[in-house]
Amino acid sequence: MSVSTRRLQKELTDIKRDGTPVGIELLSAEDFATWYLSVEVLGNTVYEGEKFALKFRFDNQYPISAPAVQFVVDDHYTAPVHPHVYSNGHICASILGSEWSPVLSVVSVCVTIQSMLASCKKKERPPDNDRYVSHAPENPKKTRWDFHDDK
Amino acid sequence: MEMEEKEKDNETTRPSNARLEVCDQRVKIKKWHAIAQWRWDTGNNDPEDDGEGDVCGICRVPFEGCCPSCKMPGDDCPLIWGECTHVFHMHCLLQWIGTASSKQQCPMDRRPWVTAERKVD
Repeated sequence: MSVSTRRLQKELTDIKRDGTPVGIELLSAEDFATWYLSVEVLGNTVYEGEKFALKFRFDNQYPISAPAVQFVVDDHYTAPVHPHVYSNGHICASILGSEWSPVLSVVSVCVTIQSMLASCKKKERPPDNDRYVSHAPENPKKTRWDFHDDK
Repeated sequence: MEMEEKEKDNETTRPSNARLEVCDQRVKIKKWHAIAQWRWDTGNNDPEDDGEGDVCGICRVPFEGCCPSCKMPGDDCPLIWGECTHVFHMHCLLQWIGTASSKQQCPMDRRPWVTAERKVD
């Protein structure tokens, strides 16, 4: 069993035993390669009533290497309109790139993204959305992100 | 490492009596069983804690177990302390520090990792 599988097995056990934080739900974790979780921002925010899905992809170096995390864009879900979220679902968030730490987890990433949405005052796409989306790699980890603000 | 030894002798005699009676040569101890227990001294000495909460932040395996790459807990899979007081399985921490993306920072506080000589109180 690989190191990533053991760690994910533990995270899954914790989720099943203790549940997930309010507004976050495990949608599917059929294997230890791809998980889906839903995120809602509760309370009075610009995303009131909206529900998003996050797709996590893990390589066998997780948690030493960061998971690839993006919003699901399909028939059921769209990417939230947010200055750090591209319309293809890719997220520009430092903890998914240069600020990743192996003590983070699937749930802690969801909570960070939930609070990133909760603090948004104005719904708008990143200024370079169209340019990025037109040539973005399939895996957001392959993008060389330039983290602007929110440090 | 903290060592704790417990003696266990024949069920009917208490250890203190046993010693007394040996002096009187009324009882001969034919065999005895020593049981030793060890645990890492992580600074968590709360007797209420069953140790389950004391896990390596990287692999989430209890310190009393070993890192996921090892099979047996013990001196071959030691713990490592940073001067920032954070503690991990040494193998887990070295794997992280060995990556470029770690920037040689502690996973907990992102301060430059400096290995401490011993547990930092």
